[in-house]
Amino acid sequence: MLEAQNLTKQYGDFTALEGLNLQVNPGDIYCLLGANGAGKTTTINLFMGFIAPTSGQVKVNGIAVTTASDATKKHLAYIPENLNLYGNLTGLENLQFFAGLGGDKPGKAKSQDLLRSVGLAENAITKRVSQYSKGMRQKVGIAIAKAKKADHLLLDEPTSGLDPQASNEFAQLLQDMREKEVGILMATHDLFRAKESGTHIGIMKAGKLVHSLESDDITLMELEQLYLETMKADPHAAVSH
Amino acid sequence: MLRLVIKKEFMTALRDVRLQVSGAILIVLMLTAVLVGKQGQKQIQTEREKAQSAMYDTWLNQGEKHPHSAAHYGMFAFKPKPVLSFLDVGLDNYTGVSVFLEAHRQNEVLFSAAQDSNGMTRFGEMTAALILQVLLPLLIIFLTFNIFSREREEGTLRLIHAQGLSMRQLLLGKVWGTYAMVLLIFLPLVLLAYLLLDEQSAQLDSHVTGKFLTLAASYALYFLVFVLLCVLISAFAKNSGVSLLSLLGLWIVACIVLPKATSNLADKVYPTPSQFEFRSTIEEKVENGIDGHNPYDARLASLREATLDQYGVGTIEELPVNWSGIAMQAGEEYTDQVYDHEFSKVEQIFHQQNRVSEWAGFLNPYLAVRNLSMALAGTDFRHHVAFARAAEDYRRAFVKKMNKDMEVNHTPGIAFGDYNVGEEMWSSIAPFAYELPRTATILGQEWRSLAALSLWLVALFLGSFVLAPKIPKL
Repeated sequence: MLEAQNLTKQYGDFTALEGLNLQVNPGDIYCLLGANGAGKTTTINLFMGFIAPTSGQVKVNGIAVTTASDATKKHLAYIPENLNLYGNLTGLENLQFFAGLGGDKPGKAKSQDLLRSVGLAENAITKRVSQYSKGMRQKVGIAIAKAKKADHLLLDEPTSGLDPQASNEFAQLLQDMREKEVGILMATHDLFRAKESGTHIGIMKAGKLVHSLESDDITLMELEQLYLETMKADPHAAVSH
Repeated sequence: MLRLVIKKEFMTALRDVRLQVSGAILIVLMLTAVLVGKQGQKQIQTEREKAQSAMYDTWLNQGEKHPHSAAHYGMFAFKPKPVLSFLDVGLDNYTGVSVFLEAHRQNEVLFSAAQDSNGMTRFGEMTAALILQVLLPLLIIFLTFNIFSREREEGTLRLIHAQGLSMRQLLLGKVWGTYAMVLLIFLPLVLLAYLLLDEQSAQLDSHVTGKFLTLAASYALYFLVFVLLCVLISAFAKNSGVSLLSLLGLWIVACIVLPKATSNLADKVYPTPSQFEFRSTIEEKVENGIDGHNPYDARLASLREATLDQYGVGTIEELPVNWSGIAMQAGEEYTDQVYDHEFSKVEQIFHQQNRVSEWAGFLNPYLAVRNLSMALAGTDFRHHVAFARAAEDYRRAFVKKMNKDMEVNHTPGIAFGDYNVGEEMWSSIAPFAYELPRTATILGQEWRSLAALSLWLVALFLGSFVLAPKIPKL
């Protein structure tokens, strides 16, 4: 389980995240919506231990990230927004390297299967990543995350820059992972994808989680309306569930 | 996991076209420097061997003459060109190559290469040592300046961290991966230089293989220090630009500014007397005695009394031996005593100056490896002094032999021109031979430089261990 308790992150006078309370259970896909600077990436970075919170707690399977960051890593897989892999290595080599760091370096055949399973073209597998498009790099990132077989997946704008087909394939992958009881926390701008793939949706504004609701309780139209209203509204309004 | 990072770092560097080009240029430069250096060393050594042999032949064939005339006729001693000087020419171009050995006088080692060269010599030759000490660290800087900052800028550092790799493991992986690349560039030089250690090399220096391997190991240690330092700085630099500027600044200070400053400081703190002062002091002390209260005439009178007493006679003419031979040898020995006294003072000053540079190795690993390299290559000041001492010992021995012959065989009553000796006497003096110091001796003398490099290494590994968890990930 991913858990944030009264989580706050400040940079000097600027509050990037304020009093966040959040829970992502196995099999949940929690989509965080919000404009740029709303605190989505800060939330992901805090869960990943890339930055330390100013106050509050962040836990992965009950382990506090602040005190045992390295121990939480085996439970987490991560895909950043702009996945820049090593251009001088092939997709296959990148996968084997990063998956190996995760503790279980897959063999060549298994790695190729993984890359095929995320939709990477056969002839791209042994090409150097410097020749890849953003979508192709993102697919390698997904394969890396899949190879890790972690309990939780944290995604920072994963479909940004993907073509519709790749985006659709990606949504299918999320469903596959959900069926395997993987808990997913995804920061995204894509309302449609959040509604289609997510089990829970959170709307953030100015470092606060303003709305947190179940995906089944709202239609895409209503979500869009709520999102637009939230963006216009006072950021200090209370959280609605 | 560590092995994975090492392999990745090595592979990415190996596939980087910029590094392929710069690495290839450096390898070509190194191999050229080694080949040209070896050819030069071999040619010079052959010339010196021929000259030494020709001088000895001249000595043997000088014809019949009085032994004291032969002591003045003298001979030259040529400094062997150390085998490993083809890797590090050190001070060899400035310290002179030969010394004229004659009675009564300790001459200087003269005819340095720098005397016959134009001002360009001051800028140094393109030797393997220069490339290894100065240019290879520059390549290390280009290999490492963005080794962390680029990962941070491109976001791969976050992905690595997310995979559970600790910063300590990552830092060590990057260090060993880069180091493997540096060794790959260094290896052709080591192999070529090893292959060039021919029969002449072994004859000239029987310990040359041990010295060469120690030299190669010292450079390997130096590169590891530099790699560690560069990777650590890159890990904490805000961005690649800051990292590059910091490392280049460090390189300029370590390889250009500090060595010059150290040498100026040593010269200022421990000034050396001029050649004129040195010679004048010797002449003055020979004339008036080391303590200034034992003049030449009094010493001679005292010797005369002692000799007359020893033989139980009243006058020099009654002596069964040649008084001039005894007096000359006594004069030689007193001059030697004065010379040793004064030379040891100057030598002490030079050693103090060198010591400043050796201690400075604890501040600057470049100085540590430079001192070690010159010492192992046989081109440092200690080697020069060792040669000068060997030549002086040889001079004393042959002059003593001439004086002794004069004392015993040129008995009173025989006119100077009537007593001559020939080839039998000349050939009793063996040709000048000088054995270079052993590896253990050199390492014993250079313990500060060795300790400095080792301390740098330990400190940097400890620093890496402590600081690695604090490396910024974003």
